[in-house]
Amino acid sequence: MSTSHKPVEANKVRNRVFVAIGAVIIIATYLYLVLGQPSEFAEGDFGQASLIAIIGYLLGSVLIAVGTIHRLPTTTIALVPVAIAVNIVVGQISASIGLPIYLDSIGTILVGVLAGPAAGALTGALTNVIWGMTISPIALPFAVTAVVIGVLAGYAGRLGMFRRFYLAPIAGLITGIIAALVSSPIAAFIFGGATGGGNGAIVAAFRAVGNSLLASTTFQGLLSDPLDKVITFTIVVIILFALPSRFRSRFPFVREYNVFGKQSELAAPTRATRSGAASTDTTTSTVGDDSASADNGTTPRG
Amino acid sequence: MTTTLYEDRESVIHRLNPVTKLVAMLSIIIIVFAVQIWWVALGIIVFVVVPAAVVSGTGGRLLSLSLKLLLPILIVLVLLQGLFFPEGTTVLAEFGPARVTVEGLMFALGIGSRIAALVLCSLVLLLTTNPALLMTSLTQKGMSPKMSYVISSTLQIIPAFHTRAQSILLAQQARGLRLKGNPLRRAGALLPLVSPLVLGMFTDVEERSTAMEARGFSSPATHTSFVIVDDPLGQKIARWLIVAIAVTSVVLSLLGVFK
Repeated sequence: MSTSHKPVEANKVRNRVFVAIGAVIIIATYLYLVLGQPSEFAEGDFGQASLIAIIGYLLGSVLIAVGTIHRLPTTTIALVPVAIAVNIVVGQISASIGLPIYLDSIGTILVGVLAGPAAGALTGALTNVIWGMTISPIALPFAVTAVVIGVLAGYAGRLGMFRRFYLAPIAGLITGIIAALVSSPIAAFIFGGATGGGNGAIVAAFRAVGNSLLASTTFQGLLSDPLDKVITFTIVVIILFALPSRFRSRFPFVREYNVFGKQSELAAPTRATRSGAASTDTTTSTVGDDSASADNGTTPRG
Repeated sequence: MTTTLYEDRESVIHRLNPVTKLVAMLSIIIIVFAVQIWWVALGIIVFVVVPAAVVSGTGGRLLSLSLKLLLPILIVLVLLQGLFFPEGTTVLAEFGPARVTVEGLMFALGIGSRIAALVLCSLVLLLTTNPALLMTSLTQKGMSPKMSYVISSTLQIIPAFHTRAQSILLAQQARGLRLKGNPLRRAGALLPLVSPLVLGMFTDVEERSTAMEARGFSSPATHTSFVIVDDPLGQKIARWLIVAIAVTSVVLSLLGVFK
């Protein structure tokens, strides 16, 4: 996988292929698990469902992480570890002060909005890898959910959902619903519905009424994930609006897709006449910033 | 708060090439999920995972960690599947809407043994492998140095971040922030914590990326390593062997042999 000897173009194609195959594997895994063999599950026999869930989701996440990491500039690579640390530390504090929500994806969503879907996907995948290495290996099979959250946060930013304060919670709601749908087969087929104390009780309640295991974990996910993501997206948009706009517009992704609307136009290439004023603000970030802008082909500041 | 579970000791398991341990762990997990027979998973735990932990001298920590991680899940699993398994037919006892069925208990046994194998295998790897060495040897096997940078530096940042988060929390409490009360109020309390944490993170990132660029981080030239991890031929063969077993078990499973 070394990038050193080969020409850059070949690597670009290879990375795109990795990401594309990874995405196809994840989607195929999900469709197989949800539509695949309902008659067999009804007898309580999963057949190959748990094997396919663990291999398909892990392989897909690894391919996406490997395919995305090469095209990220150094500023983004430096941002990912701190974002993961924010995810883990805030997630743990939220659990320790007894909040009923996870709040373990603040960093992932921040990176997705500021640096794009690829960076968001990488942050998500590695958060769960590191969560698995430090706190509990149980987080590892759920890496795919974090990848999906990072990608969706990136596209939400690209579509302008962070230009208005009230649009972000809507993006959070949609992300939460999709995250619940993606993670429910993992909860059902790998963990048999038993992912945590409170969640297990909710799954049991749905099972008692006669739902299938997959349906029960899906309903349980739909009860908790959308609420968690609405709150997380709201926190992220509050933080982002509080950031000085020169901080935000430092990211090529923010400038290219005008993630924050008018405010970021100050640093957009079209307003290069203002660069004299802007450059005095940004002299602190020199090398990393230059490489980031060069990567995108736009160099608004001197 | 300790970041990693790794304990520096001297044993055969500790001396193995980290890649060998990683490949073995992933292969065992895949075999356990492919072969879907509960006693195969339990057999692997009893005859492979536990001896490995005992030989490496991490048996005690493995026991306490696995009890902490696995016990809540296994209890919920047995209660959930044992009591609420509408598909079950052989009823042992009935309490209102809850029915204890043989099928439900067998199902819990199957899933529980697999989760236990997954958690225990990962724990043995984590307890006996220095994360920095694992990253170095993975980079030598062709993983992107960017990937190993992200993982290694996150492991180092987390304790510092935890300390910073705690001191922010204390500072805000000193200014009158209340952490008690209803969930909505407590959720609101997180904002004064998260904003300074994230703002601090941006300053960190700026300094770090400048330092990294100054040291040629994104240079396309081949990166050399300070530590060369030993990788004897025997372990290479062992790796291919266990991967072959895992692939075979997946193929046999997909062909429906283990029904």
